[in-house]
Amino acid sequence: MKHSPIRAVAAAPQPMTRRALAKQLTRAKLLEAAREMFAERGYEAATVRDIAAAANLSTGAVFASFSDKADLFNEVIVAEYEFMHASMVAATDEAAPARETLLNLLSLAYEAYLTDIRLVQAALSFCWLHDLLSEPRHIAAVDLVRGHIASVLQRGVDSGELSPTLDVKLTSEMLWEAYLSNFRRVIFEGRGREALRTRIASQLDVLISQRKAAA
Amino acid sequence: MGVREDGKQATRQRVLAAARDLFEEIGFEEATIRMIAQRAGVSVGSVFTTFAGKTEILSHVMADRLEGMYAELDRVVPHLRGHTVDRLRSIMAVHYSIEMRRQRLFVAYISASFSWTADHSVIPLGQNVRFKGMLADALLEGLARGEVREGVNVDTFVEVLLAAYIWNYRLISREGADVTQLIDLMDRQIGVLFEGVATH
Repeated sequence: MKHSPIRAVAAAPQPMTRRALAKQLTRAKLLEAAREMFAERGYEAATVRDIAAAANLSTGAVFASFSDKADLFNEVIVAEYEFMHASMVAATDEAAPARETLLNLLSLAYEAYLTDIRLVQAALSFCWLHDLLSEPRHIAAVDLVRGHIASVLQRGVDSGELSPTLDVKLTSEMLWEAYLSNFRRVIFEGRGREALRTRIASQLDVLISQRKAAA
Repeated sequence: MGVREDGKQATRQRVLAAARDLFEEIGFEEATIRMIAQRAGVSVGSVFTTFAGKTEILSHVMADRLEGMYAELDRVVPHLRGHTVDRLRSIMAVHYSIEMRRQRLFVAYISASFSWTADHSVIPLGQNVRFKGMLADALLEGLARGEVREGVNVDTFVEVLLAAYIWNYRLISREGADVTQLIDLMDRQIGVLFEGVATH
């Protein structure tokens, strides 16, 4: 999922002073450069100096927008989750069954990152060591995506497709965790999109198979 | 084993014990090879003749913990009684109790498990054959007792369970959760999962 500075600006609240706009542009340029650098080199090898240079900015400009490299990386991840959420919302067909919708959304989410597996590795590895899993913006961004998954599950419950006793929140969390864990198959076994789709489909079925029990 | 082999083995053990304690005390990222060597009472050079680096040390620390862990589990698991869902909960609870003794070390392991690449000789997290086997056995025994319905996808059930098991550790940093909270959450998750495979 490529980010353009335009999108980041468009997402910002209106109206904006010229100065705020310039700041926003600098931030977007840095995020884009940082994303590319982290995806290419991983977290450790990507330096703030190189990221600044790639964005045609000074190292000082980085620290004016972000408190440190970890903060910059966290913001890259937050932007990814926000974009993933927006893509999922756009790809959601309200009229389609919940199971089919979830399978499509998660497959889409795999496809988008198969070419950026180093970024995924860096993000999933990094978040455990820097208390990012307790960082509010990080949590909020993950909750956006997980919340959308929950909303699709809820629709399935409401329409009678899924069991009325399904624990929607817990199920959405477990589905999301299965999605993330499957990236190890890409890392260790070099699995591709078809294998991942089959995997997550079967995991999804285990999680929502209560409908069969209830039927 | 010759004298030289004995010495090498002793160095290896000392380095692994020192690393395990340092990773837990100050964290994986903060611990340096120099600190590990100092704590183990060996030279930095001799650490590097045994291990390629910190990540490899971590993978050996984690591999070595399995022996003690499964000795402990082998004493408990054959004596589990009750419904399949309770047996599954017990197996997971024992894992949490053991791993939470060195929770920082375990979190470092989770982190590393995503950054490792296939050329490392490590057992990737969630691919531990004995852990998976234990859970699969509990389900299959449940099937034999008529508590689990026919046609259940055992492998997938175990995968989803293990994914939840691992991600639950995030609550340590998010909410400062202790072992009881992790086990409580896991109990609820097993409840959700088991609903789908139970005979009704």
